[in-house]
Amino acid sequence: MTHQRLVILLAEDDDGHAQLIERNLKRAGVVNPIVRVADGQAALDYIRQGGNGQPLLLLLDINLPRVDGIEVLRQLKADPNTSKLPVIMLTTTDDPREVDRCYALGCSVYITKPVRYESFVEALRRLGMFLEIVKLPSPPSSPST
Amino acid sequence: MENFTFRENFARSYVLHHLTPEQLADILDATEDGIVTVDSEHRIVLFNRGAARLFGYEPSEVLGQPLNVLLPEQYHQSHPRDMEEFARGPVESRRMGSRRIVSGRRKDGQVFPIEVTISKLRSGERLWLTAIIRDAEERKRYEDALLRWNQQLEEQVRQRTAELMERNRQLQEKTAENEMFVYSVSHDLRSPLVNLMGFSEELEVAVQQIGGLLRDPRLPSEVRDAAESLLQGDVQESLGYIRAAVERLSRIIDGLLRLSRAGRVEYRWQAVDVEQIARRVVDAHRTMIHQRQATVTIEPLPMAWADPDAVEQVMANLLHNALQALDRPTGGQIVIGHRPTPSTTFHTYFIADNGVGIDPALLPRLFHPFQSKPSASRKGEGIGLAIVQRVVERMGGSIGVESVLHQGTTFHFTLPALPPTSINSDIAKEESSA
Repeated sequence: MTHQRLVILLAEDDDGHAQLIERNLKRAGVVNPIVRVADGQAALDYIRQGGNGQPLLLLLDINLPRVDGIEVLRQLKADPNTSKLPVIMLTTTDDPREVDRCYALGCSVYITKPVRYESFVEALRRLGMFLEIVKLPSPPSSPST
Repeated sequence: MENFTFRENFARSYVLHHLTPEQLADILDATEDGIVTVDSEHRIVLFNRGAARLFGYEPSEVLGQPLNVLLPEQYHQSHPRDMEEFARGPVESRRMGSRRIVSGRRKDGQVFPIEVTISKLRSGERLWLTAIIRDAEERKRYEDALLRWNQQLEEQVRQRTAELMERNRQLQEKTAENEMFVYSVSHDLRSPLVNLMGFSEELEVAVQQIGGLLRDPRLPSEVRDAAESLLQGDVQESLGYIRAAVERLSRIIDGLLRLSRAGRVEYRWQAVDVEQIARRVVDAHRTMIHQRQATVTIEPLPMAWADPDAVEQVMANLLHNALQALDRPTGGQIVIGHRPTPSTTFHTYFIADNGVGIDPALLPRLFHPFQSKPSASRKGEGIGLAIVQRVVERMGGSIGVESVLHQGTTFHFTLPALPPTSINSDIAKEESSA
């Protein structure tokens, strides 16, 4: 691969949720590096420091400590340096008002937990041009010899 | 009995022909009422004892004086004019100010309420006006007291209304608080639930993978058999229970979220075509209606003042319930109609089915969340009717149910027929801003 790898930045404070997302992305064949941060401020810091110079895709939980997801989204979209960053909101609520608010602030996709991973990966694929998805030759349940 | 006027009576009276002017004056003096006669110059020519008692003047002090001495200053201009007008007019006698109380002025300057009847007396070219004057102090006291009581009563009603509105506001606030609490709790419950769901799925994936590993021919067969029976037995069974419990929990939490949202969503108040909504809802259920070979009849329904989405939610929920209650293979009938009532402010709508009916023991708590016992025919967590009730009540209406086991159930609910009056609109405003 000659292009820079897209890094998935996962901002999620619940360890279980983070673990589930990572596992399921891998199981769906996503091989991009996943960087996890546990609060909104850490996500903002990572993005503003430019990551490792690699393109980013942000998976953003709404209920985050320190700076919540909505505020992270608002700050990113208000800053011309980061306004183009694709953001997928992850949340346990499907309150239409909150969904509307996130779209109004400019999130790319809004996904409610528990995540249906097929559609999730499909959404990721449509968003992240450089998402690397490797279809495994055989299901993970039967390990290749 | 012949209905003589006093004048006729008097004219026929034997006594009349034997009365001297002095005796007539005695009679006049004996009356409680004041009698004052003035000539065409408005000078007092007759002033009986009654008048003397009322006004505090001796007759000798006022005879020949202008009538104005008996009147409060503010009438000194207008009263003589009124008298002239009366004198010229066709009416022979009238009560002054109709039923109103007018004022007189005592010798000591005190102004007091009087009732006055005035009449004309002619002799040739000359005209006198006679006023019969009654002290209206007592009547005025009664009237004033009545007025005060009235005002007190109105004040009480105002206070009570204000108290009720305040109570109403507090209740709404309390309800909103409760709903916010339910919302945030159920929202918080979702996060661990996502882990339960996700990791039980992870376990299933792991079970499949272990199953794959067990197919390794290098494994001793007794180990493989024991492990496989564990996996297919205990582990699968445990996972099955976890999955069912998690799904149930998820439905309950979703129900709670929906219930709390039913109280928080903002309403768009407008004239709503309930019949059109009923058609739309029936259309949306046509597959289910077809499957059950049910007949759904929509009668003409009047417009309501409500929120269209909320009405649709109510209608859909009740129709769904009715369809689920139909147990017969054919002949299931549902009627959506309007029940005439004397009320002009509310319309009563109903959805009736001829299905299984509801156990009378369940009726009293039918609208409480999580109270209906889940049964084969009734899926869900028993939150639908709680939501329906909340929605109907938020629109100002009420909901009720009548049911006979094995014969059918009728849900009826009311909706406002018209936009609210000013008092109710305050409530509606608070509602919609809550």
